[in-house]
Amino acid sequence: MNESTLFLITFILYIVAAFYYFAYLFSKKESPAKTGLSVATIGFGVHTLALIWRTIESGHAPFTNMYESLSFLAWSGILAYIIIEHKYKIRKAGPYLMLIVIAVMALASSPLMPKEATPLVPALQSYWLWLHVSITLLGEAFFAVAFITSIMYLVADSREKKGVNKESALSSEKLDSISYRCIAVGFPLFTLGGLVFGMVWAYNAWGSYWSWDPKETWSLITWFVFALYLHTRIVMGWRGRRSALIAIIGFLAALFTYFGVNYLLAGLHSYA
Amino acid sequence: MKSIINFFSSVKLAIFLIIIITIASIIGTLIPQMRSAQEYAARYGQFSEILIRLEFTNLYHSWWYFALLMLFSLNILICTLTRISPKFRRVFKPNLEFETTTLRSAKIQDKLIKGWGLEKSESEVKKELRSARYRIKETRKERAVRLLARKKTLGIFGSDIVHLGLLIILIGGIISLSSIRKNFEIAEGEIVPILGSDFKIQLDKFETEYYPNGSVKDWKSTLTVIENDLPRLTKTIEVNHPLTYKGYVFYQNSFGWDWKNPTLEIWATKTSDPTSSKKAFLRLEEKAYWEEESVEFRVLQFVPDFIIDGNQVRTRSLEPNNPAAFVELFKGEEKISSGWIFAKFPDFSQMHSKEEAEYKFEFRDIQAAQYSGLQMAKDPGANFVWVGCAFLMLGLFMAFYWPPRDIRFIMTESDGKTEILSAGRATKSKPTLESEFNRIMTSLRR
Repeated sequence: MNESTLFLITFILYIVAAFYYFAYLFSKKESPAKTGLSVATIGFGVHTLALIWRTIESGHAPFTNMYESLSFLAWSGILAYIIIEHKYKIRKAGPYLMLIVIAVMALASSPLMPKEATPLVPALQSYWLWLHVSITLLGEAFFAVAFITSIMYLVADSREKKGVNKESALSSEKLDSISYRCIAVGFPLFTLGGLVFGMVWAYNAWGSYWSWDPKETWSLITWFVFALYLHTRIVMGWRGRRSALIAIIGFLAALFTYFGVNYLLAGLHSYA
Repeated sequence: MKSIINFFSSVKLAIFLIIIITIASIIGTLIPQMRSAQEYAARYGQFSEILIRLEFTNLYHSWWYFALLMLFSLNILICTLTRISPKFRRVFKPNLEFETTTLRSAKIQDKLIKGWGLEKSESEVKKELRSARYRIKETRKERAVRLLARKKTLGIFGSDIVHLGLLIILIGGIISLSSIRKNFEIAEGEIVPILGSDFKIQLDKFETEYYPNGSVKDWKSTLTVIENDLPRLTKTIEVNHPLTYKGYVFYQNSFGWDWKNPTLEIWATKTSDPTSSKKAFLRLEEKAYWEEESVEFRVLQFVPDFIIDGNQVRTRSLEPNNPAAFVELFKGEEKISSGWIFAKFPDFSQMHSKEEAEYKFEFRDIQAAQYSGLQMAKDPGANFVWVGCAFLMLGLFMAFYWPPRDIRFIMTESDGKTEILSAGRATKSKPTLESEFNRIMTSLRR
């Protein structure tokens, strides 16, 4: 037994959970969804063990390279989903979220991602690594759930307008409000982890709290998009399609901050 | 004046500015910033001049980006100021003269008639509200009682505190424009005066820690602050753990090697008889005499990261990635061979020899003094930024997790019965309010 075995077991459990979820989606029976959630939860437990294992083995936080941070992102995604599912019962979003999680896990296990735990360069040896990365990724996981519910909103909305929506489906109104709830959790987390803790750490490590490094700039851009979402919604009363579109753009911006910047733009954040 | 205030207090302006600033920021990540004019010319051809003139090549420090941020600040400030006084009034001087019709037109509302007198009704309602942790204000007019029950009222200021935080951060950013940053190198024992201050920094000790695989784990510099010829403070700094003194912060940044005075370990072996060899620790141009063979050798030139550039040997970096030494071999006064030898590639080491490879030279090791690379920064804006961040987070927490809500009651007595009319109000947590409201009304019905 080692970390990569645990990772593999997690991966398999997530795939099994996704199968149950899709069985639920097509059969319209409730029971496969419950099984799906249980399997995903067990997978989450094993995943947690894998992360702890890795932390002990490497002696540092489990998100210092792409493999580790992808794995942690998948973990955060499941956590966010379990929380939202528990509070608002959005089983219908389960299958899609599992797909995203599986895609992230597959990306993490691809041979392109170096998996060895490498010793940390001096700048990363700080407890701010824990605070900055984990809270940012957790916030982004909630944005991911909002992304899914927003897409589901767009589908549900167009079906409702055509009058072909099934009764069992989540109403577009509920999806709209769940998207907002997710952003209401994700936004403060992202602000705290990504921007505030990021600035504090940058000040301690690089001597400057803001350097207009592409990753910093893109996290600010992401933040602006969600600020736009909140202002149009709360102050101008936007709902529905327009809100959903902004939430989708916001998640794509977060995704670009996370991946795109590393591969397309060069900067200080050359670690992961 | 009024129209200017109206202009700056509009949310539409805020949204417009957010979009423009976002687009500008994106452009700034797509155009490489602060490169040379030649690079831009190669990349963008005839457009490069326009880009440079419009400061797209130093976008985040351009006058127009700054102007956008200032407009945005003004917008935030005026938006907040125009909204704050009605909010104060609502919180501290709430209207208790609400009408029956207002309550009847609310989305969350209820009405019930109880066989209680007015006093009994009032105390029952208050009891329920208090157990749900509502705070109550009341007025009494003839035979009617009006109650305003509120909870988490201060949450209404969440967004204002967020905006205040942002303004403080922006002020911090402006103050930071006057910050000083300087990189410098300091060797052990050296004392460096700090410009603009009345103290000096001395490096007592510098060490590099390595991982077992050879990569750098950490750099540690023990620094002493010397003021008026007296040591004031000694601290060992490392990456992520700077030293702060009188607003100046000293960061461990990097390290460097003193390649001008290395000591090189060179082994010479006789090709025909490997047991005959000479180990020498040499400084540059220092000769080693090999008695048994009565030859002399010396290192004329050293580079830490060997590369041939055209016909010239130079070093690619200051890292010891490919250390190479140019060795000369003498017999008496006559130079019999010379050539480059490489520490990492012993097989490539070849001497251009007159007598074909009589001796083999190996470059075994180098020792060079290290100096510490420090960054000195004085950033008077930083503390503003931290205070702003604290406000920002407090405000976000209040805005999202401290949602204000209220329930208004009008109770009127007639014929020994009391009509209890109620309506709930919340901008952000309607479902929570609704369930609370229903719970209160259900237990009043009982």
